[in-house]
Formats: sequence, C-alpha cells, structure tokens
Amino acid sequence: MGVIRLGYVHARVTDLEAARRHYGDTLGMRLVHQKPDTLYYKAWDEWDHHSVVLEEGGVGLVKLGYKVERGEDLDRFEQRAQAFGAITERMSKGDNLGVGDGVRIVLPSDHVVELYQEIEVVGTDTGTVNPDPFPRHLVGVGVPRIDHALITAEDPGTVERFFAEVLDFGVSERVVTELDGGETLGSWMFCTNTPHDIAFIKGPNGKLHHFAYYLTDWAEIKRAGELFAMDDVSVDIGPTQHGITRGQTIYFFDPSGNRNEVFSGGYITYPDFPAITWTADQLAKGIFYISRELNERFTSVLT
Amino acid sequence: MPTVTVLPDEVAVAAGDGEGILAALYRAGFGYRTGCRRGGCGVCKVDLVSGEVDYPATVAGTVLTAQERATGTCLSCRAVPRGDVVIRLRDERLRCLIPFLRPAPFPRPDPSQRPERKS
Repeated sequence: MGVIRLGYVHARVTDLEAARRHYGDTLGMRLVHQKPDTLYYKAWDEWDHHSVVLEEGGVGLVKLGYKVERGEDLDRFEQRAQAFGAITERMSKGDNLGVGDGVRIVLPSDHVVELYQEIEVVGTDTGTVNPDPFPRHLVGVGVPRIDHALITAEDPGTVERFFAEVLDFGVSERVVTELDGGETLGSWMFCTNTPHDIAFIKGPNGKLHHFAYYLTDWAEIKRAGELFAMDDVSVDIGPTQHGITRGQTIYFFDPSGNRNEVFSGGYITYPDFPAITWTADQLAKGIFYISRELNERFTSVLT
Repeated sequence: MPTVTVLPDEVAVAAGDGEGILAALYRAGFGYRTGCRRGGCGVCKVDLVSGEVDYPATVAGTVLTAQERATGTCLSCRAVPRGDVVIRLRDERLRCLIPFLRPAPFPRPDPSQRPERKS
C-alpha cells in the first residue's frame, strides 16, 4: 500500500530536436511516443509506458508523477492532502497519455505532483523470461531508469511534513541550521528502499534543481562523463561523491538548461531507517564529499 | 569578425562567425560567473552596452523576458553578436582562466618586493 516509486518527470524544453539528441542519443532513452509539441521517453529497464515527458516551450518542471500500489490509495492520499490544506483535483484517464485516473496535488512548494495507479505497461527491453542482463541495442549512456528529483522550496520543513504525513515517505537525511530545533534547509525522502525518491532544498518555490537517472556503479558514471564530453553536454560537476545519500554523481545540463544527474550507489533504506542529520556548516561536505566546496551553480542554477 | 569588448575590464576578443559571446571569451581564456551555459538559468546575464545580438537557439521567455531584451539585458551563453558588441559584467570582473592565451606577458611579482629569505 502506498506510493511505490517516482513514475514520471514532465519537464519543459526550449527545443524538441535538441532534447531528442540529448535524451535519446546521449542518454539512450527510447522514444515511445511523440506529438508535435511533446516527446515521451522510457528507459530500458522500466516497464511502464514512459518516465520522461518533454514539452516544448520554456524550461523547468511541469509535474512529477508518483505511482501508487492500489486504487484505494488515491482516495486516502486525496483526503489526507486536503486535510493538510493542499489543493487537489481529480485527473481522468487520458489526461496524461497512457495514464489512468489519479489525483493531482499542488504541494506547499507550488510544485505539482500526480498520483496514479494505472499506466499502460509496455515491458522492459529485456523482457521477463530468461532475460539478458542488458539489451545490446543501447546507445549512449543507456540509462536503465529514472531515480529521483530534487526540487526547491521556500520552506523545506513543511514539504517534508507533507510527504511524511500525507504520502508516508520516510526521511533518510536532513540538513538543519543547528542540531536540536534548527530550521530544516534540506530533506531527502524515500518511499522505496533507495536513499531518496524526492528531495527538497531551500530555494524559490516551484523550481527544479534536477532529476536523476540511476546507473549501476562508479565505472558507469565515468563512462557517462566521457560520453558527455563527446556530445558536448554542459557538465555542472563530477564525477564525484555525495556525502548525503553516499551516492556517486555527475550533474549536467540538458540543452535547455534543466539539470540532470547520473547517480549510482547509495545505501538501502527501510521504514525504520534512522534519519541522518547534517549541520549547515557541513553542507558542502554533504553535497560534494570530496571537494567539500559548493560550487556557485549548485545553489543558483534552477529551472 | 565581430569584436566583443568587456567592461569594466576593457578586454576585447574576436568572435568567430556564429560564435556566441561566452564561447568567444572562453576560447580566449577568459571567464566569469556562469550557470548552465544552455540558456536555462540566467546566471550569465550581462548588460549589452552597444551593438546587437541574435539568439539562434530558442531562449525561454521566463529566463530572458521581452522587456529585458528591449532594455539591454543579454544572455551571454546564447547571444551571438551581429557585429561589434560591448558588454558590461554585473557586479564582477572578468577572470583570466588561461594566462597562456594572453597576448601580453602575465604580470610577475616585483623581485624587490619579496621578503628576504632567512638562511
């Protein structure tokens, strides 16, 4: 019962053809559907219809879709969201291509999250009977799946409380101004067994910091970096290591300036995971463990 | 070839045909505070003091508004000079990132100003 994963990221891009080269050729996602102004992509190890939707016009995040396990979860989460004071509305089958009925929620941070239980299933590229470990037709990085998104909020503490109280997410890590009663500057939360399925840091409401793809290991991260050089992808930072989540990373930008990440590693979480706390004076080490310096872009570049 | 002049440092570099302002400065070994370098964040905005620029790549209206364009704001990572341009950095100075590319010798410290070595 409950939210089972980040299902889709719907973002805006300024140029569909440039986006096609980036998400299709460099990252190696498969184009599953296209409209004149929208591209729908799926990664090879995902089985649902799509996980990334790119809409022409502007930059930034349109919405995040989280898949729930059962139909009745939608009613429960809708009631809880309303009790929390969030604006909700019902969405109908077909509002999103291939996606069934659901609940649309405006978060306290003005971001839009959609909960849904039904989506057209197309299967992974390797299938479920005697599968190979990877499909041999992959191009570019060949990302297997999306992993998480980091968004900015004027009050990360309230958004954390929303995801905990309404959607039953757990906190894996938190950055606070001081121990014992300090303000929350950032929060990393999970509904799966990964370190994070959503994260928030302090910043303007409604903005996207990045969305991330999972890669198997550090060697894959390095290989992704090499491909970014070959394809002239604008790299923010990396390869390097996070303190928070313990993951390995490269941050980079799509051709419209939306930040993406390739992320590997990290620990396993469970509902009883003891939340980790970082104090603000150690934030730079938490974000970039090796350099222990926040580059200016980390906090200033948002779409 | 268009000349890109940067104020307040009064450094001038040549831009190739179709080359953007930031790219021309990078190629000459200079840099300043930038963000995504893909037109999405607005961190590299500068003032366009004189000259005209084109934006061959689409720039989001939320990043560079029509009013900003009309009043001389230039998104330097995406702006391509139409001819000679003069830009002014906002609250910062141009940094020399690759001194080897500078035509003038890199200033060396005056030996007479060095503290005496203790033997």
